Amino acid sequence: MKKIDISTILASAIHESKNQVGTLLYQLQSLKDAINNNDAHQKKIISIEESLKKLNDEWVEYLYLYKLASDGYELHVDTFLLDEFLDDQVFALFPSAKAKNLELEYVCDPTLTGVFDERLMTAVVSTAVYNALRFAKTKIRISATKNADFLVISVEDDGKGFNQSDDQQDVFLEGNTGLGLYFAELSATAHVIDTVKGFIKKESSLTLGGANLSVYLPQPSADHSISFK
Amino acid sequence: MAQQDFSKKKALLIEDMAEARIMQRKMLTDFGFTSIDIAMKAETAIELLRNHSFDVILSDYNLGNGKDGQQLLEEIRHSKLIPHTATYLMVTAETSIEMVMGAIEYQPDGYITKPFSQAVLQRRLSKLLETKERLLEVNMALDANDFDKAILTAKRVSKKHPSLLGKCERIIGESLLEIKEYKKALSLFNKTLKNRKMPWALFGKAKTYFLMGELEKAEQNFRQLMLDNRFFVSAYDWLAKIQVKNDKLEEAQATLIEAVGKSPKNILRQMELGKISLLLNDYVAAEMAYRRAVFLAKYSCYNTAEVYLKHLESLARISDSGPLLPRQKDNFENTLKKVHESFFDDPDNKAKTYGYEIDVYLADNDKSTAKQIFEAWLSEVKSGSATPPNKQQTAIFTKSFGS
Repeated sequence: MKKIDISTILASAIHESKNQVGTLLYQLQSLKDAINNNDAHQKKIISIEESLKKLNDEWVEYLYLYKLASDGYELHVDTFLLDEFLDDQVFALFPSAKAKNLELEYVCDPTLTGVFDERLMTAVVSTAVYNALRFAKTKIRISATKNADFLVISVEDDGKGFNQSDDQQDVFLEGNTGLGLYFAELSATAHVIDTVKGFIKKESSLTLGGANLSVYLPQPSADHSISFK
Repeated sequence: MAQQDFSKKKALLIEDMAEARIMQRKMLTDFGFTSIDIAMKAETAIELLRNHSFDVILSDYNLGNGKDGQQLLEEIRHSKLIPHTATYLMVTAETSIEMVMGAIEYQPDGYITKPFSQAVLQRRLSKLLETKERLLEVNMALDANDFDKAILTAKRVSKKHPSLLGKCERIIGESLLEIKEYKKALSLFNKTLKNRKMPWALFGKAKTYFLMGELEKAEQNFRQLMLDNRFFVSAYDWLAKIQVKNDKLEEAQATLIEAVGKSPKNILRQMELGKISLLLNDYVAAEMAYRRAVFLAKYSCYNTAEVYLKHLESLARISDSGPLLPRQKDNFENTLKKVHESFFDDPDNKAKTYGYEIDVYLADNDKSTAKQIFEAWLSEVKSGSATPPNKQQTAIFTKSFGS
């Protein structure tokens, strides 16, 4: 019998499941529209909605992970204003944070621009934030800075942080399989300028005291003028 | 982000699935759109776009059996059915994003991945409209074919809004090609490529070399694009153009056959394949390509006489080496009917059609019908409604009928 490529099959199975999650979300939306705003069930519905959104985002992460790992991901980079990009991320993830009574905010220089794959970095940030949601006590912060020739996107929380003495990822990914960090790493290394590759760093948060996951993305040499002769 | 007032914008929603359509329409209404036209498939959308103008087009990638959202976009952009000032937002599934992003030549202004909430859609649309406002002068210049002005204004916008740098660079590069400033264009594309490996810049570079007549370099770059982007089928079309220019028709045909295998629903590609196959006297391949083109033409922007006449011609040439099979004859009759319906007022079209018909009947050895058609043709020539047969045709036909 011909050997079956199980990862390809899993990837398409995830696609199928993801589509069903999408249908469920739409149906839930019409349910939400149909019932009264102060209905006692409203809260329950929102909680189901948040869980489904998270599930959807996780499926997306796994699909990209599969593509990155099998060299099937085509990177599409473009220039973005970080203020807009991070605002988008907070906008999308805010309801999940609110449901857990956590603050979610972003900080960056309003003029900062960066070159990266938007879809991939959206998935990386949401993975990191979902993870931080499990450990933060009160607050999660997403930030972006320029560090030499790298754009650094960080997700910090005020939880107990990475336990450096423990064997690596155990604490950060308690009850998890470590896929999240692996995904962040593959996404970072997929960004290449000349021969410089992106990378990730796990640190303690200086400002919030908890964990800090930073993604370093190489940037083209600073030259924002259009010139031609 | 400024709050957008959607109430004065005209929207076109293109979605084949009823449930999603109702949902999206409700979303658009809820955040202020008052004018929303609906199309359930690409063909209806084209009709609407021909007769109305829209500010916002929201189209699903997946549109059922007909054209998909990307093909629709390519067709309406190519035939300039929508101005540059309009906003095109493509709704994709995770599986179809790559097809949209990989289509480097014609891209939507933005895309949104299913599932999405009303808030996300509103936000995405607001941002896209804001970007369009910032680029308004540039896009108006492009719509007016004033490329010098487009370049000038795009430079200004990129200084003011650094996040639009990529978009502006691309517009400037393409405008430079329009005004035939190839060297400047090349230097701009190269500079972009040095910093960021943007597919549009590589595409621009390849196209520039093609336009400069440096075919070898053009081919090299198009091949690189094909390697980098599995979903960029247009690179094959360009490669075939280069092969035609180099008089390598067989290679061009092979390239297009491969492209058609990847993406069979592009009518211009089918017609090009048909044309090259006719030149190669490969009438069977020509007939297949034109038959598909006839099928695709009906609701497309390219519903011209040429598609149908070329299909008849390829069948007529097949009949040169023996009578048509019943299936081929049916195809001939079907296409003939369409010519009669839509394109028979033109004297040249009439002459061509009569000629092919006579060829087919003669192949069947049905001399009397062939003769009847010939006589009908000649009488139409007298009344001035058909172009006369050429000398060669007259000679062959009269000899065959034995008159």
